[in-house]
Amino acid sequence: MISRRADRAAGIGLVLLAVAVVLATRGFRGAFLTDPIGPRAMPWLAAGLLALSGLWLAVRPHPDRDWPRAPVARRLGVITLVFLGYAALLQPIGFVAATTLLMLALSRAFEGRFWPSLAGALGVSVLLYLLFAVVLGVPLPVL
Amino acid sequence: MDVLAHLAQGFGVALQPLNLGLAFGGVLVGTVVGMLPGIGPINAIAVLIPITFAAGIPPASALILLSGIYYGSQYGNSISTILLNVPGTASSVITALDGYQLTRQGRAGAALAVSAIASFVGGTLSIFGLIFFAPLLARWAIRFGPAEYFALMVFAFAALSSLAGKHLARGLVATGLGLLLGTVGLDPHSAVPRFTFGQVRLLDGMDFVVVTIGLFAVSEVLLMLEDTEKGRMTVGAVGRITSMAREAMTTWWVMVRGSVSGFLIGVLPGAGGTIASFMAYATERQLAGEDGRFGEGDLRGVAAPEAANNASANGAMIPLLTLGVPGSATTAVLLGALLGMNVTPGPLLIERHPEIFWGLVASMYIGNLLLLLLNLPLVGVFVSVLRLPRWLLMPGVAAIAFVAVYAVNTSAFDLVLVVAFGGLGWLLRKLDIPLAPIILGVVLGPLMEKNLRRAMALSDGDWSVLVSSPLAISLLALAGLSVVLPPLLRRWRVPAGRPRTS
Repeated sequence: MISRRADRAAGIGLVLLAVAVVLATRGFRGAFLTDPIGPRAMPWLAAGLLALSGLWLAVRPHPDRDWPRAPVARRLGVITLVFLGYAALLQPIGFVAATTLLMLALSRAFEGRFWPSLAGALGVSVLLYLLFAVVLGVPLPVL
Repeated sequence: MDVLAHLAQGFGVALQPLNLGLAFGGVLVGTVVGMLPGIGPINAIAVLIPITFAAGIPPASALILLSGIYYGSQYGNSISTILLNVPGTASSVITALDGYQLTRQGRAGAALAVSAIASFVGGTLSIFGLIFFAPLLARWAIRFGPAEYFALMVFAFAALSSLAGKHLARGLVATGLGLLLGTVGLDPHSAVPRFTFGQVRLLDGMDFVVVTIGLFAVSEVLLMLEDTEKGRMTVGAVGRITSMAREAMTTWWVMVRGSVSGFLIGVLPGAGGTIASFMAYATERQLAGEDGRFGEGDLRGVAAPEAANNASANGAMIPLLTLGVPGSATTAVLLGALLGMNVTPGPLLIERHPEIFWGLVASMYIGNLLLLLLNLPLVGVFVSVLRLPRWLLMPGVAAIAFVAVYAVNTSAFDLVLVVAFGGLGWLLRKLDIPLAPIILGVVLGPLMEKNLRRAMALSDGDWSVLVSSPLAISLLALAGLSVVLPPLLRRWRVPAGRPRTS
């Protein structure tokens, strides 16, 4: 028995998204005289496409691909949290420290050994800092 | 012949040692900057303009430097796109599709060589177009009113949704998502905030760099994490330059077609490199039919968009130089630079400042040549990046992706967004939904809406305005054909004998 649940779920999700979009555009009001079709038309067009293609997926689903098993899913979840942590920490602790931590966590997830990973993470972070902040003048946060 | 005499004069300007040096320096700086996503040619040029003023470089030379940076950064961007799947501009998103697949198959060297040669061919052919057809094409571009632009964009979306993926429904999902993302932000017509969820940062709309890097680079890191053993990058041997060139030349006609169509589309202000590269890719994919391995690593899938992209960059110079209308963000910055030098582009530019027009044309050619000479021998060096162990390479890709996103707006909120798009990209890839139409939607959706609403405003709400010119009708007809034809062709071809290889 081939599972086709992913496409079905995605299709239904897309139809729901389309409905939500149309509901959300209720409050959009344009300037009537100069703008005959108003700010709703484009979201509606997008919603129409999403509803149509979503229905298509739900009615004629393809077989599922491999979805990650529990340990892999846990690793993906942890790394996603690391990414979000980076977004939260970048400005408070500065670019080099935050990026080193980010890369160290990722290197470990890719099965790098600790000390080489740390050295690589620190090296790349400093290099990127020099390149972006010093050479190109991007205001990266410093500690 | 008049043109040739002018051109000779132009080469006289461009071959002066100072200008030659500036072209070389511009190409070199541009390549390096282009490799870093999020910086982009616009910022590179914007940073360097004050320097050219301060150094008191004559206008023609400054333009030579700036256009060198422009070319260089486009190629540099192709390098990080092909090797790391981190496209930094909308037009390089298409190159990522097959370029990165080639890299994963150990053919990064071939992909980079094709990219360099296709860029050169596209640049060279379009310079001839620029020399001979500039005034003619400027008039053609003016005929594109809002209705025609709308039709052109419908065509682009239709062609890409039916061709980017294996299945039309999935292409349409991506197009719908892209168009929806494109509407996020303050609606410029009515000042209504759309889908901003009260976030001030979203009023400006979705930044395309954030969407692209999230969907491509971050989701790639997540996919790699799923199986840290499988999919280990193989790095094939990089061949000699002559053999790389020979392989690249198998795509000669692809490059020529991409150059011609890219050039013509590039002339249209606003459409530019994005539509050009997407259309060239869609066309070649269609022409190749069952022979193609598009999406799975086909050299033609790199050659077409790269040639088209460079050709369109030169095409965009036409409205800039002959009408004073910048067709893209980069040419807008160039316009600013010209004005700052007391040179007003327009119909009279060629007569009043022939040394600038022809010097620029000649330097474009030299810039293209330098780019090829500089980068073809370096392909091996670039590819060696892939020899880094994965525990260093993939975290490095993530770090570059994040710093690039942060560099765009120096906003931590963008970092959260990019993670969200990374997750979305991972999910969509699992569902076989193509990512390229989403990018097209984010980039072109707002333009399409603007033109649609402008057309409707001019006609007082009469929809027939959209089909009121032969140009608009034929573009819409092409759009319809590009959706209907591929499935039909597939049906005809398969029984015709050739067994389908999958």
